[in-house]
Amino acid sequence: MAKPIDVAVETNHDPLEPPESYFVPATDVYETADELTLVAEMPGIKPDGLAVTVEDNVLVIRGRPGAKSEAGGEVLLQEFTAGEFYRAFQLPADYDTEKIEAGLRQGVLTLRLPKSERLKPRRIEVKVD
Amino acid sequence: MAIIPWRGRTLPVATLASLREEMNDLLARFWSHTSEPFGLAEWSPALDVSETDDTVLVHAEIPGIDPKELDIAVVGDTLTIRGEKKDETEREGRNFHRVERRYGAFTRSLRLPAPVDAEQVTAKAAGGVLEIRLPKKEGAKAKRIEIKSD
Repeated sequence: MAKPIDVAVETNHDPLEPPESYFVPATDVYETADELTLVAEMPGIKPDGLAVTVEDNVLVIRGRPGAKSEAGGEVLLQEFTAGEFYRAFQLPADYDTEKIEAGLRQGVLTLRLPKSERLKPRRIEVKVD
Repeated sequence: MAIIPWRGRTLPVATLASLREEMNDLLARFWSHTSEPFGLAEWSPALDVSETDDTVLVHAEIPGIDPKELDIAVVGDTLTIRGEKKDETEREGRNFHRVERRYGAFTRSLRLPAPVDAEQVTAKAAGGVLEIRLPKKEGAKAKRIEIKSD
């Protein structure tokens, strides 16, 4: 099998400041000929509480879940991950970061990063005489 | 490197406590990619449960699950949430670099802290979080007794 291009390597180098404590969302990363897709589970995230940024080819996802109703009662069980979701990925330089598409549905964030023409696989035609 | 005389001091308790806290934090972060080691366990939703004077409130994390496919039942003093987190990811023609999301059928049952009025239970879902509101039965509601003073 051909070695995949080294894409979306997790990084600690964040041009912005990572939060003091955070939760790492479970994320699938896959690649097709045309684009790279990241799918991250972020239950409780609302679009206005979510920030996706790309700086120095570092893609950063961070978000804070919206407040649940009636937090005033007595807590009997607490399994939700408290605090902020945060994750950073190093991207190769060849993504068109201007064209990243983001969708949020049922607490699942999908990011689609189109490859620039240079990164798309090319089929080299062999001419036969 | 300077030689530091050993004065036979024991480590302050506070240092040990903070060290322990750091270790716990480190371990928690290590496992946070998959809440079970090596992803062996099937997925089941995290629950938050709280109680006020007249209501039991249950929240469940259900990212990517269609709320219509959940089955919520109250029998006696037990609340049961059943469902399945289905993997609908297309695999064909895709080169996977990371697969961390987990799937599976689940059943979670909870013993409720007070009798609830099953007819009045409501549930709604938004943004991958399910909220179930269970009003307590009349007799089970906390009553505040006012103390009269002259």
